[in-house]
Amino acid sequence: MSMIAAFVMASFTVPEKIGAEPQSMLWLLPLAAAIAVVYKATKLPKITAGNFLKETAILFCSIVVIYTIAALVLFALAWLVIE
Amino acid sequence: MPRYSKENRVLSLLIVGLLAWLVPGAGHLMLKEKKRAIIIFAAVVLTFCIGLYIGSIGVIDLFGTSAIYVKVAQFMNPPVAVALGYCTDGGAYPVYGWPNEIGQVYTMTSGLLNLLCIVNAVYLAYLCRTEMAGC
Repeated sequence: MSMIAAFVMASFTVPEKIGAEPQSMLWLLPLAAAIAVVYKATKLPKITAGNFLKETAILFCSIVVIYTIAALVLFALAWLVIE
Repeated sequence: MPRYSKENRVLSLLIVGLLAWLVPGAGHLMLKEKKRAIIIFAAVVLTFCIGLYIGSIGVIDLFGTSAIYVKVAQFMNPPVAVALGYCTDGGAYPVYGWPNEIGQVYTMTSGLLNLLCIVNAVYLAYLCRTEMAGC
């Protein structure tokens, strides 16, 4: 087995070090992008590069805004419970 | 225009659904939707691989103690997830905490996105077979 193959396989057998930090929330962004891309790929009647990118970007931004609102509401609820 | 018997229609829908589960986007490719197929394949496989990279293959827990919704969502991934489930059975690749949770969310989401694509491919095939769409 070559060194590259061993390195790639090792990457998938050992978990990344991710702590409970605010920056960890950034892992939501690729997930939102994947959801937006697949959803628009199934829903658009005809796929052209410009239209697809535009629609996907709009949906991606909508998801991120909803994420942010949900986070703020949960943060406010948690603050109310603690205080 | 060729007319299809009911049995042939059901069989073709089953084949499209099975292909779409085996390889993400293959159902759309069979319906000559090449662009959609490429986009779906890239997005679903990339999401699944990111999940495995973050949490390792240990996040695939089809036969372990994970909640049933985790298992069902991960099972919707292509059969490679089932093969990985056998590999990780018995806790050979333990993973805990945030990497486990984020990895599970990614692999579950890729499975559910694949399910969406399966349903969409079968629906498009149904429209084509009943000659309601211009396929």
